[in-house]
Amino acid sequence: MGDLLTVENLTISFRTDEGLITPVQDVSFSVQKGRTLGLVGESGSGKSVSTKAVMRLLPGSAVIAPDTRMHYTAKDGQRVEVEKLDPRSRAIRRLRGGEIGMIFQEPMASFSPVYTIGNQMIEAIRLHREPNKRQAREIAIAMLERVGLSDPATRIDQYPHEMSGGMRQRAMIALALSAGPALLIADEPTTALDVTIQAQVLDLMRELQRDLGMGMIFITHDLGVIAQIAQDVAVMYLGTIVERGPTAEVIRDPKHPYTQGLLAAIPSLDRLNARMTPVPGDIPSPTERPTGCPFHTRCVHAIAGLCSARTPREIAPEPGRAVRCWLHDEAGRSAA
Amino acid sequence: MLRFTAERFVGMIVTMLLVSLMVFIIMELPPGDYADRYAFRKYSGTGVSVTEADIQAIRVELGLDKPMLLRYFDWIGNIVLHGDFGQAFAFETSVTKVIGDKALLTTAILFGTLIITYLVSIPIGIYAAVKRASFADYGLTTFSYLGLALPNFLLALILLYFANRWFNADIGGLFSAEMKDAPWSLAKAGDLIAHLWLPAIVLAWSAVAYQLQTVRATMSDELNKLSVTAARARGVPETKLLIKYPARLAINPVVSTIGFDVNRIFSELPIVAVVLGLTELGELLLRAYLDLDMYVAGAILLLLTFMIVFMNFISDILLAWLDPRIKLGG
Repeated sequence: MGDLLTVENLTISFRTDEGLITPVQDVSFSVQKGRTLGLVGESGSGKSVSTKAVMRLLPGSAVIAPDTRMHYTAKDGQRVEVEKLDPRSRAIRRLRGGEIGMIFQEPMASFSPVYTIGNQMIEAIRLHREPNKRQAREIAIAMLERVGLSDPATRIDQYPHEMSGGMRQRAMIALALSAGPALLIADEPTTALDVTIQAQVLDLMRELQRDLGMGMIFITHDLGVIAQIAQDVAVMYLGTIVERGPTAEVIRDPKHPYTQGLLAAIPSLDRLNARMTPVPGDIPSPTERPTGCPFHTRCVHAIAGLCSARTPREIAPEPGRAVRCWLHDEAGRSAA
Repeated sequence: MLRFTAERFVGMIVTMLLVSLMVFIIMELPPGDYADRYAFRKYSGTGVSVTEADIQAIRVELGLDKPMLLRYFDWIGNIVLHGDFGQAFAFETSVTKVIGDKALLTTAILFGTLIITYLVSIPIGIYAAVKRASFADYGLTTFSYLGLALPNFLLALILLYFANRWFNADIGGLFSAEMKDAPWSLAKAGDLIAHLWLPAIVLAWSAVAYQLQTVRATMSDELNKLSVTAARARGVPETKLLIKYPARLAINPVVSTIGFDVNRIFSELPIVAVVLGLTELGELLLRAYLDLDMYVAGAILLLLTFMIVFMNFISDILLAWLDPRIKLGG
């Protein structure tokens, strides 16, 4: 199975009134066809910004560093160097929607309130798949049915405000999938939903991803959700991926102290009376990114004099795993 | 949409009837009536002494002796059924003759001004929001503030001066000399348009400044909406995207204030009209009041308020079309 998307050394800076801030630094990950990569981290850790960079949806104040490489393999086998595309070009518009679909946390806000669900779906289908309006409408109805909306022929002419939250999120998924993308980026798609609906939407997404053979990037701050849906996981902290690998292995044997902290913080039904064990400290502001390892200010295992001074490199403690931590880099430690 | 339109239409008719009643009451309010003025005018300086009975006779002759409510129904009935606005006492002819042309010209100025206002402010406001904080944005903003800062009559004088110097235009009035008394024709309409742009620009400028800032602000808000990012993430081409998604909602506050713009134009028009030598309704309204020529004053007031109510109706319909959520509340 080939790589659908490879991102290497992604670094994003924003020009702001307080100077240049760098919310994403040296991020590398890849997504395979038919597999799901879970991107997990606290708010502000750069998950959304990184995926927006892949779609070239960042605002004009954002700068992508010159050594960033983002390679996407299109459905026709063509290799696209996304970082070189002009964000207003026809090539990037073909990628957006047609190759890479995106769904967002707020289904209400991601639909325009003044057009029907069908209007927005048919627009996307006609842009990427089927210019004929009648056939595009049929594809849209079929897709609404596919995501489990009852009476799709009526729903298609409804406005977003005429639907419930769960229905809107299903419609949003249908909208993103209707243009036939090979990669789906889901940015916290279940966070705004009730827990019961959350489980239904997760099931639906897993099923659709498997049936359509798509690759998927699933962004969440919830490691529990990752365990349910993603085969691979990348843990982000302050704009850096601190650990990545197959989900099952990372959860069973987390290498990075931050991942360990996150897993320990998940409340468990077996230990209802025990106090929760949060990761100590607060996430620093992106304008005051710590030097060295960004996590050293909150790390219980931090090595004095080393972690606060030097940025750890990414190493492979086991085949298929990667971690950025001095604790696991004996060779680097002795070199320093 | 049909039901919504029908509801708003009925609402408009009811409003207009209430307005007409109020206008009639306002006409009745000044002390004395036209019978007094008529007697004064006819016999003043002739040495004839006028008795109360003589005035009463005039009153009966003009139909002013009937009870007020009855006269209201006569008046509004004739307007609705026959388009007859009654007698212009001071001119000794029908009101329709007196105000006809002036009403038409006022309407022309009104629509000319509205068209210029929206044609300029909406696209430029959108452009300024998209190019936010650029040189073009600041330049356009400054230029539009000039319109807010300068009083209209001054603007009128300045434009009059330059139009005359640069274009050698015979500005002043709405028609050139040879067309002034000609019957209506295509050439005369063309002549009107050639003269209309100056008062329209003067009246539109401050409205443009105001609406441009409104569009720029709402458009900036709309551009940051997730729905716009989502549409961009679906590969919608940028220009189409801007028009279809944020711009449609950004012009919402402009459309909802069409009625205010009409109102403002009517109140600013008289001063501009004096400076530019236009004939319009405002001046006539003042004269009719001084003469207690109530049917002329009433007709003008009625036309102006009807125009505002009607434009509000249009604005309601446009709003519902722009944002279908509005119909739910209707």
